[in-house]
Amino acid sequence: MDPFSSPAPSNGSSGPSTEALMDQVKAQLAQAYAEEFLETVRSKCFSKCITKPGTGLSGSESSCISRCVERYIEATRIIGQALFNSPR
Amino acid sequence: MENSAELQRFLEEEKQKAMVSEMVGKITNVCWDKCITGTPGSKFSSSESTCLTNCAQRYMDMSILIMKRFQSMQ
Repeated sequence: MDPFSSPAPSNGSSGPSTEALMDQVKAQLAQAYAEEFLETVRSKCFSKCITKPGTGLSGSESSCISRCVERYIEATRIIGQALFNSPR
Repeated sequence: MENSAELQRFLEEEKQKAMVSEMVGKITNVCWDKCITGTPGSKFSSSESTCLTNCAQRYMDMSILIMKRFQSMQ
């Protein structure tokens, strides 16, 4: 079931069950987070890797982009740890 | 109704989690620009990863300081 439609009501109640509603909210939040994250990665990696747009992506531009995505994910992990695993 | 209290708790918890994610996202955004100055490599240098850690913690220190200054001006 996609996260935007409501499930059929159960046991005669007039709306979605609490649990189904909670699942829907979680799914929508996860999707919104993923979209925002991807948009940030696109922006960062475009500015780092595509300095002179040509008529196609060169091999070095493609590998730069791959590394950039990995590094940005790693940076997110490092920041998370810095804030929550060893606060001063 | 029980459902309503459970939902309230759930929504409050999800709100907190979303605020934390947003903060981590914002700080990663800012600290990437400060610390990763060259072309991304296949791993971070130790100065890059140290910079990221320091940056995150200094950003939080700054945030607390700003709140204090702001409150003392009310």
